[in-house]
Amino acid sequence: MDQRITSEPLTTAPSTAQPIRIDAGSSATPSTSAASGPVWSQDSAGSGSDRPGASKGVVFGANDVSVHYGSAPALVNVTLDIREREITAFIGPSGCGKSTFLRCFNRTNDLIPGAKVSGRIDYHAQNLYAKDVDAVEVRRRIGMVFQKPNPFPKSIYDNLTFGPKVNRMKVDFDEVVETSLRRAALWDEVKGKLKQNAYSLSGGQQQRLCIARALTVDPEVILMDEPCSALDPIATAHIEDLMRELEHDYTIVIVTHNMQQAARVSDRTAFFTAEIESEDDDRRFGRLVEIGDTSKIFSNPTDKRTEDYISGRFG
Amino acid sequence: MRATFQADLDGIRNQLVMMTGHVELAMSRATTALLDADYTLADWVIDTDREIDTIKIEIDDACFQLLARQQPVATDLRVIVTALSMAADLERMGDLGAHVAKVAKLRFPESAVPPELRATVLEMAEAAQAIVAKTGSVIAGQDIERAKELEADDDIVDRLHKDLFRTLLAESWPYGVEPAIDMTLVGRYYERFADHGVRVARQVVYVVTGVMPTRRPQEWPTEET
Repeated sequence: MDQRITSEPLTTAPSTAQPIRIDAGSSATPSTSAASGPVWSQDSAGSGSDRPGASKGVVFGANDVSVHYGSAPALVNVTLDIREREITAFIGPSGCGKSTFLRCFNRTNDLIPGAKVSGRIDYHAQNLYAKDVDAVEVRRRIGMVFQKPNPFPKSIYDNLTFGPKVNRMKVDFDEVVETSLRRAALWDEVKGKLKQNAYSLSGGQQQRLCIARALTVDPEVILMDEPCSALDPIATAHIEDLMRELEHDYTIVIVTHNMQQAARVSDRTAFFTAEIESEDDDRRFGRLVEIGDTSKIFSNPTDKRTEDYISGRFG
Repeated sequence: MRATFQADLDGIRNQLVMMTGHVELAMSRATTALLDADYTLADWVIDTDREIDTIKIEIDDACFQLLARQQPVATDLRVIVTALSMAADLERMGDLGAHVAKVAKLRFPESAVPPELRATVLEMAEAAQAIVAKTGSVIAGQDIERAKELEADDDIVDRLHKDLFRTLLAESWPYGVEPAIDMTLVGRYYERFADHGVRVARQVVYVVTGVMPTRRPQEWPTEET
């Protein structure tokens, strides 16, 4: 790993400028309960300026963001804020650009050939797309969980030590494994079989393992792209409970096709719509219709298009 | 899309409108029974009240099913939640009609209403019936402008209710305690009846605007907000 070190926080190597909070608490038996204190937040003074305390700050400020794949627009002119330690849900029909927009937040669109992001996205007031920003460091701070559980074909233990190893984090691996599994509400189910292959777990357990894996590198934000769409209702309920737990310490952005899920778990909901660009070939691009408190969006949304979509009368 | 669900919601609305019709007719006949000492008509009103109760239970059940099976949100959710409340109010209005009919039966073969009060009672009854008729059209047309008018209509009933009390409490009241109690109760029934009607109409404002209105129509939200 070859990371440039500059004055910009996002460009610094995590093992030097950023204290690794996982051993800051140095607790031998980390707790799973949020009430007994978040293990990873036991920062020593002076560390963690990227996680301010009580006030609900803005983590991401997206300003007039558009994404094109080649010459075709996928998403146009989106302006919204993502607030700290809240769950923000993106909902909307297929082709509305919600997953595309989600990927803008950890620059995974960079990995798609021909994808071009315009406008501006600030992460704690730093331009996420500035030239000197290290995309790898961005993706460490801003983790992602995908639609299908995608554990590595390795042991449960190795899945969880992979991130800290490649990030050269100086941590106690056993502790990272236990802490992250406890935070992902999976520890009790797998503590006796950490050396087993991750594929031996059920789909819901695999997805929680992927969430645990995202936590091992001490991110601030977790992006979730349809994290429950391959899971049964019980596994879905586990993940939703988990999201509510994690919300105390992490900022979560979730894309979901399941509107009831957005209504159940999120604090704020953004509704995107797909507009037809050209009648000839049914090309579509996405646009943000409205964002608001979930309680408002699902009881009395401002825009009729939102109402039609959430009440199942779309199209 | 969701044609069946929409049909179910429309069905609930139609049942509510139908309930306002039943309640209006019941109160109209209860008033006739009271003024004319008509025992048969009073019995009809009491029987009709049971039918109104049955419709209320049907509406509750339909709402419960839709809540359980359709996961309604936004306007749909407001339609269902308010339907439960409106059905309860309308059911109560049916009871009040039956109460008036029972007073009529109690004093049969005499009329419970002394001659001096016939005009006031009739006026109150007509004003209260006009309110429930208007409430029915407010529900049917989701008409929040008409809903606003009902607040002033209710003031008329309240004024007549006060007039009635003034007569009952005057030194010159010649009929003694029993008719005074009857008239106090009857006046109260009409006043409550009108009040429930106005409450039902307010629920329509909530359905349309998403904001529960206060007692003052000038502060009410408009459709655009």
